[in-house]
Amino acid sequence: MKKIFTLFILLVSLVSFAQQTVKGIVKDPNGVPLGGVTVMIPDSSRGTVTDFDGNFSIEVNSGETLQFSYVGFTKQEVVISNQSVLEIIMAEDAQALDAVVVTALGIKKEKKALGYAVQEVEGDNLEKAKEPNFVNQLSGRVAGLNIKNSTDLFQNPTIELRGATPLLVIDGIPDRTLDIWKINSDDIESISVLKGATASALYGSVGRNGAIMITTKRGKKGKLNVSFNNSTLFQTDFIRVPDVQTTYGNGNRGVYAYVNGSGSGTEGGGWIWGPRLDQQDPTTTSGFYETTQYNSPIDPNTGELIPIPFTSRGKDNIKNFFETGIIQSNNVSVGWGNDKADVRLSLSNNYQKGIVPNTDLKNTSFNLAGTIRPTDKLTLNGSLTYNKQFTSNFPEVGYGPTNYLYNLILWTGTDVDIRDLKNYWREGQEGIQQRHFNISYYNNPYFQAYEYERGYNKTNIYGNASFNYEINDALSLRGRTGVNEYSLYRTYKEPKSYIGYGNKSRGNFSIAQTEYFDITSDLALHFEKKISDNFGITAEGAYVNYYRNSKNTSQSTDGLNVPGFYNLANNAGATLLGSNREEKETINSFYGFIDLEFYNAFYLSLTGRNDKVSTLPEGNNSFFYPSVSGSVVLSSLFEMPQWISFAKLRGSWSRVSEGKIGSDPYDYILAYEKGTIWNGTPSTYFGSNLLSPNLEPETSDTWEVGANIRTLNNRLGLDIAYYQARDYNNLIYSPISDASGYSSILLNGNEFQRKGIELTLDATPIKNENFSWNTQINLSHYRRYQEEIYGDREQTEGYIRVGDRTDKIYTGVYQTNAEGDVIFENGLPVSDPYDRFIGYDEPDLTYGISNSLQYENISLSFLFDGRLGGLMYSNTNQKMWWGGTSKGTVNQFREDAVNGENTYIGNGVVVTGGSVSYDVNGTITEDTRTYAPNDVPVNYISFMQSTSNYHNKNYHYYKETFIKLREVTLTYQFNEAFLERTPFKSLDVSLVGRNLWLASDIPNVDPDSGVDNLQAPATRNIGFNINAKF
Amino acid sequence: MKKYLIIFSLLLLAGCSKVEDLQNDPNRATQVSPDLLLTTIETTAFNNVSLNAALASRQLTFTDGTNQYQYYNWQRAGFGQYDDLKQVYKMIQESQRTDSQVYQILAKFFNAYYAIELTRVFGDVPYTEAVGAEIGIYTPSYDRQELIYASALDSLRAAGLELAQNTETIRGDVIYEGNKKQWQKLINSYSLRVLMSLSNKVDQTDIDIVGRFNEILNNFDQFPIFESNSDNASLVYVDIQDNRYPLFNDNSLQTAYYMEQTFVERLQNYEDPRLFMMADKKPNASNLNVEDFSAYGGLYGSAPLSDNGSKAVSGEASRIKPRYYNNPVNEPSILMSYAELQFTLAEAAARGWISEPSEPYYKSGIAASLAFYGISEAEDYLNNPTIQLNSNEDLESILTQKHIALFLNTGWQSFYDQRRTGFPEFNVDGGGILNNGLIPKRFMYPQNESINNPENLNEAINRQFPSGDNINASMWLID
Repeated sequence: MKKIFTLFILLVSLVSFAQQTVKGIVKDPNGVPLGGVTVMIPDSSRGTVTDFDGNFSIEVNSGETLQFSYVGFTKQEVVISNQSVLEIIMAEDAQALDAVVVTALGIKKEKKALGYAVQEVEGDNLEKAKEPNFVNQLSGRVAGLNIKNSTDLFQNPTIELRGATPLLVIDGIPDRTLDIWKINSDDIESISVLKGATASALYGSVGRNGAIMITTKRGKKGKLNVSFNNSTLFQTDFIRVPDVQTTYGNGNRGVYAYVNGSGSGTEGGGWIWGPRLDQQDPTTTSGFYETTQYNSPIDPNTGELIPIPFTSRGKDNIKNFFETGIIQSNNVSVGWGNDKADVRLSLSNNYQKGIVPNTDLKNTSFNLAGTIRPTDKLTLNGSLTYNKQFTSNFPEVGYGPTNYLYNLILWTGTDVDIRDLKNYWREGQEGIQQRHFNISYYNNPYFQAYEYERGYNKTNIYGNASFNYEINDALSLRGRTGVNEYSLYRTYKEPKSYIGYGNKSRGNFSIAQTEYFDITSDLALHFEKKISDNFGITAEGAYVNYYRNSKNTSQSTDGLNVPGFYNLANNAGATLLGSNREEKETINSFYGFIDLEFYNAFYLSLTGRNDKVSTLPEGNNSFFYPSVSGSVVLSSLFEMPQWISFAKLRGSWSRVSEGKIGSDPYDYILAYEKGTIWNGTPSTYFGSNLLSPNLEPETSDTWEVGANIRTLNNRLGLDIAYYQARDYNNLIYSPISDASGYSSILLNGNEFQRKGIELTLDATPIKNENFSWNTQINLSHYRRYQEEIYGDREQTEGYIRVGDRTDKIYTGVYQTNAEGDVIFENGLPVSDPYDRFIGYDEPDLTYGISNSLQYENISLSFLFDGRLGGLMYSNTNQKMWWGGTSKGTVNQFREDAVNGENTYIGNGVVVTGGSVSYDVNGTITEDTRTYAPNDVPVNYISFMQSTSNYHNKNYHYYKETFIKLREVTLTYQFNEAFLERTPFKSLDVSLVGRNLWLASDIPNVDPDSGVDNLQAPATRNIGFNINAKF
Repeated sequence: MKKYLIIFSLLLLAGCSKVEDLQNDPNRATQVSPDLLLTTIETTAFNNVSLNAALASRQLTFTDGTNQYQYYNWQRAGFGQYDDLKQVYKMIQESQRTDSQVYQILAKFFNAYYAIELTRVFGDVPYTEAVGAEIGIYTPSYDRQELIYASALDSLRAAGLELAQNTETIRGDVIYEGNKKQWQKLINSYSLRVLMSLSNKVDQTDIDIVGRFNEILNNFDQFPIFESNSDNASLVYVDIQDNRYPLFNDNSLQTAYYMEQTFVERLQNYEDPRLFMMADKKPNASNLNVEDFSAYGGLYGSAPLSDNGSKAVSGEASRIKPRYYNNPVNEPSILMSYAELQFTLAEAAARGWISEPSEPYYKSGIAASLAFYGISEAEDYLNNPTIQLNSNEDLESILTQKHIALFLNTGWQSFYDQRRTGFPEFNVDGGGILNNGLIPKRFMYPQNESINNPENLNEAINRQFPSGDNINASMWLID
């Protein structure tokens, strides 16, 4: 602290030297003045930017160098002797447009040579506004990459690239475990997203859905470089949480009287359809209506519970239960390098404290990466990471009694105050019976947090070693091997009296262990030659072997003897319950590619790969697939209008086959499954899927076209991609009549078409002396269609017909008449025996808009993203209407029902005569029904308990549309003049926020994750970042 | 340098694995002994405790929403039992492979059992072409119900006779522990149930219903039948994970299910001590003695949910006895009991199929049921004037007692007996029924059949039900 204070003093006492003023103008080759050109004196903090007319003025000492730089132009330097007026003509930088990206297998290629879509995210973008994993940080940053974030602690987001899960590749080695938690974002140099199958075809079948390629940081040439990055975010409050009514409390039909927490009638049933809260009652001592409750005192004379006031003391249960979460990451790295070697050492520690008490996640990594170049011809490269993910408790997710919101607000009236439940054992039954207002359906959230513990302990070791030897100028030999190994140990502690669905626990302890190993080795011969100025060739042939072995073991008690003693030896049952499985698989492959380059304008690339897999029956398990891609750089061929800096067209076609059925490598083998052991007698059963005898690999053919145009001196760029994929020969479980003994048969069939469009627009609308503004907009749209149904069937089991979108949603609905009015009988809506179409699942558009603004040393960046269209089912909203917590249930009808009056008349009709008949598909063949308006009043509470208000709420399918302010970062960068007097080479501090604001169609739920299974409430994360380099 | 390169390269390739070495599944067996399948089949077939059946049969009521079984607006049932039939098929395959006969004989029983279970739900169902996926039949045709009954009866007859001749040991039998005599008794007793279920078809079918009934009843040596409760075909639960009574720990059962009013009133009128074993006292009578009949009450099955709900809230309805959700073993699940057989024989007598009088069978059925509930002292009840048969032909009393004896056991048998005979009456007059006041006669076919087997389904519907697939349509069996 004192040091920093001293630094400030130094800062103000800066002295200036004798200087001269140099003025000038900067122009482009056509003589047009260039605004926004950076003019600076290297190795100093002095600099300026040209104004809109290209003019600048700067103080320079004689003999110093002025450096002019601007995006898209070559840097220029001028040594100042005695000039006072300069005219600088900037030369367009062909190199700048020759940017290099990392493509499949870690091969670096010029962007302009690519025939497919690749989008990059620089590691800098991930440095400040941290998330518990790096994938969440990619939200909105890549067109076509759709990240659906989970709000729950230590839960994977859904990652969809063009509608399917991509491959994760770390330094050229595929990580098929898709463990996104083992990579620390501070170790990421850059991320390349290879969007189509063509881009990742060289990875073979695993690359069928594109790839997220991570290049980790390496030591850089120069002197020792030490950097420190700290980011701390606090989960201060919520941007979305179920908003429940506080007018009525627990109970049923307006009545509540606690008996023992598992009784019938009003208390054990678990409804929140009870009496009005905070009712004045002059006859009681408290002045409020009183009834017996779980925390009622007991009358010592009668032994009966004494009624206590029924008030909304639990209004703030959410606030009172959840704690401020913390997401903190620290990283220290040391890098060094010279011509012969480089090395980087990085130590990271991430800590996340959950919003649920007693939950956290610790994630520590140690990474060492280095290169040695013993001769000019040989390069050896290695990287090894040790990563440990550890928690003694993290929340269980999904709807049900293991869910915190379920126990806290969805199924708890606000008459229960969570603060009264901190003491969670029933007196005299410590360790045996939890204390709660309802002990047959729900768990005391504190009991759950402190006793129902889910431990997770995973150790990852992964890395790779490679060599590259240049045999001669053109030919080189490359070998590489990468391993992933992990060991996972999980524990599940379940206290006595814990409530699951239909299960009141007798206490249990389970452990589950996984040992995983995979290795990918490849050996490649590489040829690269520039035959002439106008013709270049690159070619490679390689052999790859992949092998995986994983073993799972789990063991569990059948009840516990000693309460709270979690050890398998404490089993109360006759025997321990256990299971194990082992999986091995391998793929042997050959691949090759040829890249051709003509006149720096035409690029052509051909690839081919043959896989032999262990996951298909012999005979059909070896297969070949090719790809071709190319691009034409129009701006190199033709004289372009002056405002076009670069223009390119690209196109590609690829075929990729996959020979694996599901996650089980033995799915192509028919065999018996282990059945129930009945009192010591074992059993087996045969599964419900049959196999077709000649299973073949499934195949996707994809073509893609795209264009990249950069204009206005590179200040405006547009990249557009359109793709179509035909997925055929799919390995599907084709449904057959259940009466055949099997519900499906695994075969090659069905055909789908996927298509989509992606657009990335980047622009620098303002760039001048003091201020610059960059923006990037990512848009994507994706659809999938059924092109063919196996066996010439009319429709699939999901009622999809040929030509239909496959995301059509059919659901059980109520019968309606031709006018769409719901048909009622006895005051209740009548179910339709046939499922009906209700809408589409997929959004119409996924978008992300990022902006960064720079004013002198201050920069501000912010990112909005979201989705438009698509439907999602909301479990939360349905349950709120069903259980009585929805604010919409507070109305006169409810009040009447509480008073025993049946006044609710559902909006619809009743059948007064006639009949209806259907064909097997539910199409009405004859309908002579006549109708009158529904006029049967029913009890509002019974009505909601029976219907969940389905017909008024679109059967609880809601539009997924939302917009989120995903990230805001405000950074102050200390200038060099200040830093000269400090040990820092660079230093910046930032205020960061994530998930700051949300607007959506759906109430009570954050639609980000795309599904509603009662996730944790969405938090607003606010904090700071300090980044220092020494 | 070159030699290092060679070493590097060889090291890379050394670890490579061969595809052919990894093509056996270490986790599952491709061949098993047939007894492992028998255990699966038994623990599925005999595990038939059904709350839905108790709702549909006016034994229980439900208050957490309008339940489709209670309010008779159910729609469809599934074809899940074809998967059970496939397990039987695999048991036959494995016993052929291992050259054993006895499992194939038991398979005849289970094949017949599942076929009857399926056809009585829907009407015509696939039978001769069913479970044919392994020989390429993916869209089996539907057989007429009459044919299924005739064929099932033949299988049962053959199974009983063949079992008597067989000398092999049955392993994996968790029902009779390999006692073949008891299996014969079950097969023959079950045949009598099937014959009785055809009571509406006497003289309207080629099946010699009465003749076959007598054939079994008059030749005990050749066709032994149940002789006591110890012959009951039941699955006894054990306090081990996955072996417990299926309603053990059931949340809804202890908070949302109540006894049905007409059922409780009947037991009250009869002063039937089984009430104390089935029901809990109603909350507002908690201070009364357990054996005080007025301490019990129920909810009216066909009353609107709101009426039942408020009655439940005011403590006027009994829950089921806590043992059903508190006791992990509670009582066995019954496929067919001695009591049921006795009531079937009483009904046969009442119908004049057999020459004996109905009363001894009737009384013996009641006594067996009381004994099942642990009530050994049956005399008072048996002599109670309210339960005496009015005549030898008093079907109503016989079926009413059978309905009581089958409380929450023997699957859906009570419902189908009532569908066949109309006894006991199931109330539909409470104003809450959502099927125009009707009790459904069947379930609609599963919707995925209209996608996976549309032509055969269509044909079956058209030949049976002119008004289409509908829960109120009448199938051959009860026409």
